[in-house]
Amino acid sequence: MKVLIQQVRIISPSSPFNGKVTDILIENGIIRQIADHISAEGAQVITHPDLHCSIGWMDIFAQFDDPGFEHKETLVSGAAAAAAGGFTDVMLVPNTNPAVSSKIQVEYIRQKAASLPINLYPIGAITKNAEGKELAEMYDMHNSGAIAFSDGIQSLQSPGILLKALQYVLSIGATLLQVPNDKSISAHGLMNEGIMSTRLGLPGIPSIAEELMIARDIELLRYTGSRLHITGVTTQKGIELIAAAKKEGLQVSFSVTPYHAWFCDEDLVSYNTNLKVNPPLRKKEDMLAVRQAIANGTADCIASHHVPQHWDDKECEFEYARNGMIGLESFFGVANRYGAPLETLIEKLTVQPRELFRLEVPSLTAGTAASLTLFAPGEEYTFEKEMIRSTSFNTPFIGQKLKGRVIGIINKQQIVLNHFS
Amino acid sequence: MQLSTKHLLGIKDLSPKDISLILSTAQQFKEVLQRPVKKVPSLRDVTIVNLFYENSTRTRISFELAEKRLGADTINFAASASSVKKGETLLDTVNNILSMKVDMVVMRHSASGAPHFLAKHLPNTGIVNAGDGINEHPTQALLDAFSITEKTGGLEGKKILLIGDIMHSRVALSNIYLLNKMGAEVMLSGPPTLIPPYIKEAMGVQVEYDLKKALKWCDVANVLRIQLERQNQVLFSSLREYNLSYGVTKKLLQEVDKDIVIMHPGPINRGVEIDSDVADGNQSIILQQVENGVAVRMAALYLLAGTAN
Repeated sequence: MKVLIQQVRIISPSSPFNGKVTDILIENGIIRQIADHISAEGAQVITHPDLHCSIGWMDIFAQFDDPGFEHKETLVSGAAAAAAGGFTDVMLVPNTNPAVSSKIQVEYIRQKAASLPINLYPIGAITKNAEGKELAEMYDMHNSGAIAFSDGIQSLQSPGILLKALQYVLSIGATLLQVPNDKSISAHGLMNEGIMSTRLGLPGIPSIAEELMIARDIELLRYTGSRLHITGVTTQKGIELIAAAKKEGLQVSFSVTPYHAWFCDEDLVSYNTNLKVNPPLRKKEDMLAVRQAIANGTADCIASHHVPQHWDDKECEFEYARNGMIGLESFFGVANRYGAPLETLIEKLTVQPRELFRLEVPSLTAGTAASLTLFAPGEEYTFEKEMIRSTSFNTPFIGQKLKGRVIGIINKQQIVLNHFS
Repeated sequence: MQLSTKHLLGIKDLSPKDISLILSTAQQFKEVLQRPVKKVPSLRDVTIVNLFYENSTRTRISFELAEKRLGADTINFAASASSVKKGETLLDTVNNILSMKVDMVVMRHSASGAPHFLAKHLPNTGIVNAGDGINEHPTQALLDAFSITEKTGGLEGKKILLIGDIMHSRVALSNIYLLNKMGAEVMLSGPPTLIPPYIKEAMGVQVEYDLKKALKWCDVANVLRIQLERQNQVLFSSLREYNLSYGVTKKLLQEVDKDIVIMHPGPINRGVEIDSDVADGNQSIILQQVENGVAVRMAALYLLAGTAN
């Protein structure tokens, strides 16, 4: 493997090359040289008029349904989707079947991932089978390589169990992740409760189902002194609550999804099941608050919340449709639209998630292993079905105009490039 | 004159003109129904499937009667007796229907938006929503409007009160849409847990928790059924307490002392939301509503068949 990336602008605040346009030569997965002009015979050359490069991007919340629901996504197809979206590192939610709640499942994912072009980090379930009842063997999973703990798309409901879990992981310094959703309030809801749900005759999920859980979890965090990441925050109030807790010095962080910034509940008028997600698309003001959190960098990370669903779980009555949308391939083209300075956005995709989950941050210097994402932030295009590498196609972004293309990734001595017509 | 739509999915999508057209056409069909021969051949050679995914007596019979009186060929499909129980998806059912060359589908479904799904996949088949989840029940609102007009002379400026379980009522939502479009004033009354929190802003209606005050305000009171089958959350304590606070009783009407028209979309829970002596009393037009239902549904089907051609 010998790759020459020509005239690429480096986005890496910690690198001396930050902002510079240079050539990069990679041989056998190692960055050999970074210089103004490099000539390398026999190298595969990558050029693009708007070529940019950063260290590899990391997603902290994606669902690959392997094992159990391989018809929706396998580790292989999920990795391909991630690579197409520019991600070299992905944290996987434990909601497989069986759920990732013992070291066997953690090891299965790590072994399967070894040959893939991206790094996969299993998030272990907090509770056995992610059922919210008894603590899972988190120490054992941690020792086997679980990066963090969460019941994933099943938010942990019991404050008593969450409290114990937050205390339990103190000894291993692990972080818990929560999707804020109090099910006793959201119960039978199908979309955000508000003017739109009233007009559409759909049962609503009030914002307070999210806000109350955030407030509660912050109190539990204060009591335990542990670490918590709240992901999929969709409300202005929720963002404010977390910002206040952070200011106070609590070890809390949060992420938003690109799609909660793009859509709001008003987009549900035609009962589009691809917009049925959990947490739901909120009202316009909340959508704007999520955009703001991306634009000004309040959000610690941006998470894909990539949740594949089989087509017949979406081609059906809205009420029966399953929650979620895929989000890896369209991620950058969506997240890049909200006016965040490129450096800030890339920071959220590279340094911040790794620091939060205590991974080593790869560096963009000669002599180190290449973990790179190549992208063209200024390029506008229409997102098409052909760009999807996931096994599932449940996304409302097909046909939407996006800005910011991913050219490819170089990671683990492999190179994956997107080919466009 | 034609409707502006090929499907009747909800009152939401109708213009005031459409509504007036359906109501005036219904008037003509009501006259037909008074004749010794109550049948017209308007929909001869039109095949209509009544696709009922949810139990219904009055609506299904009313539609079937309307279809037969228009000379249509009808097929009834009830979920419990069908392959739905074997796990067939709505999309598969739709494709089967399509293969059988059906012209119109009347559908009732427990999921809001199900007829919209059907319309998306069957753009050339006329879809009539006979009630979807807690969303809409457009022909009920139309027959209610027809009955109010018949009894009081019109809708404009009339004060209409909807009482009870607004939250789970597709009748309420369709009625509100229709009455708003036709210039009537709408007030809602019921326990706060059964009134959607955003209804005032979303629909421009008034809310009055005090039933007696609300009754004093209105010209017409439409008493909604407590949807016992939809009470999957704790929304009020007991039927007894409901009747004591929001049941429409003879005594309450005497205290209000106003000539209010009493309506109910049925089926009635006697002794819960309405007492028998009110339901059967001389202020009630509940049975006229049922009668008018056939004429209104004839009008809707007839006009939709007209737009489809």
